[in-house]
Amino acid sequence: MKKLPIFCPSCESNLIVSELSCSNCDTVISGSFDLPKILQLSPENQEFILQFVLNSGSLKKMAIQMDISYPTMRNKLDEIIEALQTNS
Amino acid sequence: MKTLLLNPFKKYQENKLVIIGILATLLGSIIAYIFSARFDGVIDIHFVSSINLWQPFIDSFINISLLSLILFALGKYINKKTRFIDILNSSLLSRVPFYVVPFFNIGTTMQKINTTLLETLKTDKVPDLSNIPLSFIITLFIFSIVSILLLVWSIAILFNGYKVSTNAKGVKSTILFFVALLIAEVLSKIIMINLPY
Repeated sequence: MKKLPIFCPSCESNLIVSELSCSNCDTVISGSFDLPKILQLSPENQEFILQFVLNSGSLKKMAIQMDISYPTMRNKLDEIIEALQTNS
Repeated sequence: MKTLLLNPFKKYQENKLVIIGILATLLGSIIAYIFSARFDGVIDIHFVSSINLWQPFIDSFINISLLSLILFALGKYINKKTRFIDILNSSLLSRVPFYVVPFFNIGTTMQKINTTLLETLKTDKVPDLSNIPLSFIITLFIFSIVSILLLVWSIAILFNGYKVSTNAKGVKSTILFFVALLIAEVLSKIIMINLPY
């Protein structure tokens, strides 16, 4: 899967969505849309959020599954919260 | 291996760590009793001429309790989500390097060196160090180096445990950690001097 770029390679500003297209009927929508906050996170953090939801929000379960300790898991979540708050 | 030796808190679950920590404390206290060592302070160890079985156990209990309580209070101040079990595990496992030190007193080696040194230095004149056997000086030198390394290892384990438990970052939390360690050391000394056991 191609990596979604979130920063401008030229000036490092946040990128916005300017075009969306339907793969079925080729309809193209142009405009200026902000990327959702979650998509502005790193792929690793996005994967963490996905696993968090799939594990019903249980950090304990995730810690066992990923073979790392609970506080490490909680610290990771705190870092993501901090990143989301910074982006807002 | 580096994680296991310096920062097991990052990877291992708390129930596994607490069991290992308690077993290590019990084993370490037995070793201290066998080789006449007292853990008479949070970052202290001394060899004594007579020792009771329960003394190293009470020493360990006081040291671990004080470290845990003081660092937990600091942890709560830094991050409200800090859990006592994580701090307790940091305190329990940080003691492990100390349990190696008593082995230096096999055959009361360190006690003999201590006694000889004290006898030599107990004079009003300039002490005559030529009376001290070279083997004693070499042993003392090796003991000092190894002890310092073990102390650094112990503090590194405690600091890493504190950082993982509290998600502490920055210079302020590092300074507060060392202040807490010093407070624990002073309090442990006061308690041990005043508690008859």
